[in-house]
Amino acid sequence: MPRLLRCEFAKLKRKPLFFAAATVSALIPLGCALFLPEMREFASGAEAVDRLMSTLFQMSAYLLLMPALVVLASTLLFEEQDNDTLKNLMTVPVSKPALALTKMALLFLFAIAFMAVGGLVNLGIVLASGWEPVGFWKLFWVGIGQGIMMWAGALPCVLLVVLLNRSYIISVIITFFYTVVNYIFGTNDFFIMQPFGINPGTLLPGPLTFRWFFQYLDSSGSGGQMAEMLERISPYFVTTPQAFLVVVLEAAVFLSLIALVYKRQNS
Amino acid sequence: MNDIVIETRGLTKKYGEQISVSNLSLHVRKGRIYGLLGRNGAGKTTTMRMLLGLTTPSSGEVEIFGKPLRGNEKKILPRIGSLIESPGFYPNLTGTENLLIFATLRGLKNPKYVKNALEVVNLPYRDKKLFSQYSLGMKQRLAIALSVMHNPELLILDEPINGLDPIGIAEMRAFIRELCDAAGKTILISSHILSEISLLADDIGIIDHGILLEEESLSELEEKNGKYIHFLVSDAAMAANLLRSRLGIRNVRTENAHELTVRDRQLDIGAAVRLFVEAGLSVSDAHLYENTLEDYFKQVTGGEGIA
Repeated sequence: MPRLLRCEFAKLKRKPLFFAAATVSALIPLGCALFLPEMREFASGAEAVDRLMSTLFQMSAYLLLMPALVVLASTLLFEEQDNDTLKNLMTVPVSKPALALTKMALLFLFAIAFMAVGGLVNLGIVLASGWEPVGFWKLFWVGIGQGIMMWAGALPCVLLVVLLNRSYIISVIITFFYTVVNYIFGTNDFFIMQPFGINPGTLLPGPLTFRWFFQYLDSSGSGGQMAEMLERISPYFVTTPQAFLVVVLEAAVFLSLIALVYKRQNS
Repeated sequence: MNDIVIETRGLTKKYGEQISVSNLSLHVRKGRIYGLLGRNGAGKTTTMRMLLGLTTPSSGEVEIFGKPLRGNEKKILPRIGSLIESPGFYPNLTGTENLLIFATLRGLKNPKYVKNALEVVNLPYRDKKLFSQYSLGMKQRLAIALSVMHNPELLILDEPINGLDPIGIAEMRAFIRELCDAAGKTILISSHILSEISLLADDIGIIDHGILLEEESLSELEEKNGKYIHFLVSDAAMAANLLRSRLGIRNVRTENAHELTVRDRQLDIGAAVRLFVEAGLSVSDAHLYENTLEDYFKQVTGGEGIA
């Protein structure tokens, strides 16, 4: 696996898409900081950190990271077929499941890098604005956790793309649909106000992620609407072990299915 | 049978109703070049893909180095170098970078493996040219470099001279011959170009419509296939009887009422003509023919020739 992963990194050379996708994570924080006046008017460093990281969690992760993961997954998984290199790999021999899982591991690292870059850009904005980054590192790690949750959440969509094999247009349509649905569900009371258990609010990545990261944001300085929301949904927050238990189980199931489907294709 | 490196038994591949390879029993001997000869679509590539585990056989067995391939892929495949169909590499990387990826996967830490492999196919090491900018010939050379990079005992090369210019073909032929003669490699090579196979192979398998029709050494083939005598006489059946009864010739075939062919090197043409004339037959023609490999291919496949 480490050798395969090293080779997957080597294959990315002169492929701007991957690195461009990682730098996109800086877009929303930078855009908000530059163009939204309220994102420059903070009462304290803690509030600045909180508001900027909240943007990263609620916008970048849902609207950019999720689709980027699926699009990159389809690029990575189909590159061997497109370049006719699968036969060279299989005669090494490299098994198809190992190859598919390595590519998913690469995406895992990408998700972490995406959230880390976004977080560090936020830190830069806070520092450049002259605020002390109070509470930044806690939210930075929450961001990394959210990246992992988004990665696991993208796996069902990746499985669908692998099942449909090669159709990029359909992959993009599915990705768009999945992203929108995930975002809507992640902010909908029906889904987020469900107890921890076998229900859509726990199993779908949007609501689960929201129920986890939201408890780490400091809402004390926010308005009444926010406080009311916090009071409403706080009974449904999931703990870190609960959230990551679901992530690990879902990842295990969908990684196995992706590996199985990838193995069965073109044999 | 320790000298058999590849052996297949009843190897069959079906795609739905279509049979691509049928009941194929192949024997590749150690330290020899085996030429798998057949037209395009005859089943050569499918056979090679099954030998490498790239395609699952519908039935039959593949044994390589005396072990079944199925279940022993991790032991067997690292001992094989292969080139199947067109060269497949990452277009955004240079030739060296591409080979380094596969060297890493094969656990070849020393870059000299990559350097040597590129050298033997006359490609530059650490060149900046991307694979996407390579000519077809360069791509083919890189694929050959990949197949020999890890110094395998067995090479399975599917149409390796595709895309090479005449000089490149001659160089490749010499290189493959040297790999067998000097380095003792066993090589299975496929081609639809008969002249290439006849120039290179020690053993030949003729495959047509997925069926292995013949499998012999080139010398056996030449021996068997060498010369025949064609007679044009007034009564071919009577002439055939005379040859059998009076001269003890067994390998006589009447083509039609007036033509017969004799595949017997011992036959004295003058004696045969005298015998026919004495028996009252008129002899219009007696000719010694030498079959080419192409003639033989036509004869075996019962159809058109090959390039």
